[in-house]
Amino acid sequence: MSRLHDKLLREASEETLRFITRRHFLLDCVTGLGAAALGSFLTSCGSSAAAGPDFSADPMAPRAPHFPGRAKSVIYLHMAGAPSQLELFDYKPDLQKLHNQLCPQSLLEGKKFAFIRGVPKMLGPQAVFAQHGESRAWVSDHMPHFATMADEVSFLKAVQTDQFNHGPAQLLMQTGSARLGRPSIGSWVTYGLGTENSNLPGFVVLTSGGKTPDAGKSVWGSGFLPSVYQGVQCRTKGDPVLFLTDPEGMDRNLRKQSIDAINDINRQEYETFGDPETMARISQYELAYKMQISVPDVMDINKEPAYIHEMYGTQPGKESFANNCLLARKLVEKGVRFVQLYDWGWDSHGTDENLAIDYGFRNKCREIDRPITALLKDLKQRGLLDETLVVWGGEFGRTPMQENRDGKDTPYLGRDHHVEAFTMWMAGAGIKKGFTWGETDEIGYAAVKGKVAINDIHATILQQLGFDHEKLTYQFQGRPFRLTDVGGHVITPILA
Amino acid sequence: MKILAATGNWNLFIGRIHPLIVHLPIGILIIAFVLALLSRSSKRAGLRAALPLLLLAAALSAVASCVAGYLLSLDGGYDEQLLNTHLWLGIGVAVSSTLLWLLTVAPAAKRLARLELPLFALLLVLVSAAGHYGGSLTHGDDYLLQAMPPALQSFAGKKTVADNEAAYTNVGDARVYEDLVAPVLSTRCYGCHNARKLKGGLRLETLALIREGGEHGPVLKDSMPEESELFKRLVLPDNDEHRMPPKGKPQLSPREVELLYWWIAQGAPTGKTVKELKPNPRIQLVLEAMTPGKALDHNEFVPEATPSAPDKKSIEALEAKGVKVLPVAANSPFVAVSCVNAPDFSDADMKLLHPLRSQLVWLDLSGTRITDAALADIGQLSALTRLELKQTAVKGSAATPLTGCSELLYLNLSGTACTPAFLTALTKNKKLQQLYLYQANPDAHTLKQLRQQLPKLTIDTGGYRLEPLASDTIIYKRKTV
Repeated sequence: MSRLHDKLLREASEETLRFITRRHFLLDCVTGLGAAALGSFLTSCGSSAAAGPDFSADPMAPRAPHFPGRAKSVIYLHMAGAPSQLELFDYKPDLQKLHNQLCPQSLLEGKKFAFIRGVPKMLGPQAVFAQHGESRAWVSDHMPHFATMADEVSFLKAVQTDQFNHGPAQLLMQTGSARLGRPSIGSWVTYGLGTENSNLPGFVVLTSGGKTPDAGKSVWGSGFLPSVYQGVQCRTKGDPVLFLTDPEGMDRNLRKQSIDAINDINRQEYETFGDPETMARISQYELAYKMQISVPDVMDINKEPAYIHEMYGTQPGKESFANNCLLARKLVEKGVRFVQLYDWGWDSHGTDENLAIDYGFRNKCREIDRPITALLKDLKQRGLLDETLVVWGGEFGRTPMQENRDGKDTPYLGRDHHVEAFTMWMAGAGIKKGFTWGETDEIGYAAVKGKVAINDIHATILQQLGFDHEKLTYQFQGRPFRLTDVGGHVITPILA
Repeated sequence: MKILAATGNWNLFIGRIHPLIVHLPIGILIIAFVLALLSRSSKRAGLRAALPLLLLAAALSAVASCVAGYLLSLDGGYDEQLLNTHLWLGIGVAVSSTLLWLLTVAPAAKRLARLELPLFALLLVLVSAAGHYGGSLTHGDDYLLQAMPPALQSFAGKKTVADNEAAYTNVGDARVYEDLVAPVLSTRCYGCHNARKLKGGLRLETLALIREGGEHGPVLKDSMPEESELFKRLVLPDNDEHRMPPKGKPQLSPREVELLYWWIAQGAPTGKTVKELKPNPRIQLVLEAMTPGKALDHNEFVPEATPSAPDKKSIEALEAKGVKVLPVAANSPFVAVSCVNAPDFSDADMKLLHPLRSQLVWLDLSGTRITDAALADIGQLSALTRLELKQTAVKGSAATPLTGCSELLYLNLSGTACTPAFLTALTKNKKLQQLYLYQANPDAHTLKQLRQQLPKLTIDTGGYRLEPLASDTIIYKRKTV
């Protein structure tokens, strides 16, 4: 081991020396002096609110939040494509009365829609609703299992966004900004809390539905935060994490030696340049080495008993939302901070059968109904729901109007993107049980009471983890940035 | 009802420019003063040439400020006395800067040159004083004092307010107006509606003054919050000009708004306690959440007490074993201990936890190698509120109760073979709220006993199943004919 180690070290130092010329030396002298002077200025007037971790140590070491949080972990279930709130939770009998009538001008004036052109027809609710549980919450017959959990969750009926296209809306939902470059919620959380289990990533992403979200992998990117905080995508088919297994002929011992040698060189590199990305690289190598053992273990659902598989409706080896829900429970149980699920296929425009409110949408509902219910019940029986925040939602809602793409009727029933009101729910970790906040008008078009903005959702997630969302900041481009930007109010009515 | 007299009001428009242009004479005069001082040295005598122009600019802008300020004062809503002082000081600045300008340009004034510096000094005093009173007019008397660090405050002679100890311990006993509503009005509304600053002619310091209303009439209609301006304006959109508190000022929290609504709906009484007004469950929740200690950063799983900081060495000893020891919050003495990365943690290691007995509140020993021998050690952890013993060999017995953990709220024994005797002994943990016994095969008799003895305890034995439903298998497809 030591021979390989020494050889690599020697090569690296020779490499470095080769680049240091007389000019570099002189330049170093000058800038070094200046930097020293500047450094003393900066520390003397530096802000005391340096919330970030010390990068010279392990950037993934567990850290304490601002105040004791109610949630240790978050499971965020994102229905990519945006499910229709009008067929699931937001019951509008009056909309049925207007079914097939032309949409009144007042609803269209000054509004822009992604696809609706001209005057569309109204589309009544395409589901049968009933009230459930002691909370008498409305849930449609599309989610018969979930309906039994009505007394466990807090519904947010009047969430609003300002982006009506999937990509920007998903970015806004997951990073707080409709444009690229901001860290995702999970990145902020691991930046703030580190990871409890040092053998697993702090932020894991699981996708289903055959596609990644429209906005691409930026929705779990770390933006300007060091890249160690970005989400680690795990696959349910084949290797859970790509390129994690050792190549043929390399044993684990040799792997360990090479990683140690590389890390030593990187540490010297960090001492010279102080770039936090170097530390990120070191901890990523170390984590990857540990993950070679821990990830296949935690990602293996074969060992789960049959009744658990039956409850979730899981089929090992397949890429499915059900498998991901079971994995989410397993990961949270092992101390993973943030598990992000994306399920693609909710964009029910009515343009084809899979994207039809009356066909594909119902099939999607079936695919999530049992797993989500099983997830909540499973977390509950293990005593985990008390410390795990579960968030469900899409990136926007859907119109009470039947979509008429380019002024023509679509072949199936469908609804267009809608930004003014949609439903999300949260459960567990200090969130009220069996509660509804917010209201929409008689046809579910506009939010009337209890409006919730996207950064209110973020503020609330951070709040439950123990963060003051205004104080979890990162210094970038000369100013502190935060997940909630300049907005965000904690949705106090839903806090128990 | 219009708050502005009319749209396109020139007087008010120019008046509102006052806060902008008022800073011109201040800045210009300071520069002029500095130049005048510097020009006394022969080396920089050339700087004197700039003085006449600067002073002219200062005089003109001071006069303009006075005019705009007068127009602004016509809008009303300011403390008469404070306003007068500010007004005359402002005029003083305008007059003396004009004089000073004349002094520098008039050839006849050569003889009076020695008056220049004293006049300058007077001018600076006037400007400072006018500025101070102007600030008091817009921001209120104690604007600066409020933000002062405590050390400076006592220096500045401000009495430190006795800590905000609530006059009640149970929210049911709180007097609705005196203990709940008035403090909200005091922090959010008094700033602009007090004896010195009468915005809208309205004062809110006492109920009698609230009932008097403002220049637009009453703000409170008993039992009709939707008709009362005092409530209505709180819920207007952010950018509505009638919204209160106005955009940019600290807002009432949603809970405070609900409280005000409820209080007005009850007829805006004084001297009544919450209990007497019989709150509905919803407002009860709101009120409970508003009670001190129920703040956003409150966590029922962290005790109120403040023990000393945990011993660093004992934490390091635990960390050497791969155990995670972390404060529950930055600056909190309480710690959480997790063995998620220390599956080999065993009975012999338990003594490492002893030094943390008064700080350790959350303990996760799930999946470790501990056995019943560890229970005696756990029993010494008196501050513990959450205890996880999932998937361990712990069985327990009547002789190893957790009575020492008197603060215990959450206990997870899932996947253990805990004995009925051990469970029965939990009745001594009076505060216990949550007990998890998934895959722990508790017998029905013991559970019944526990439930009877601890009515507040929720026991979850898990083993949930989802009934197969027809909807699980129906695949929706268009019928092909």
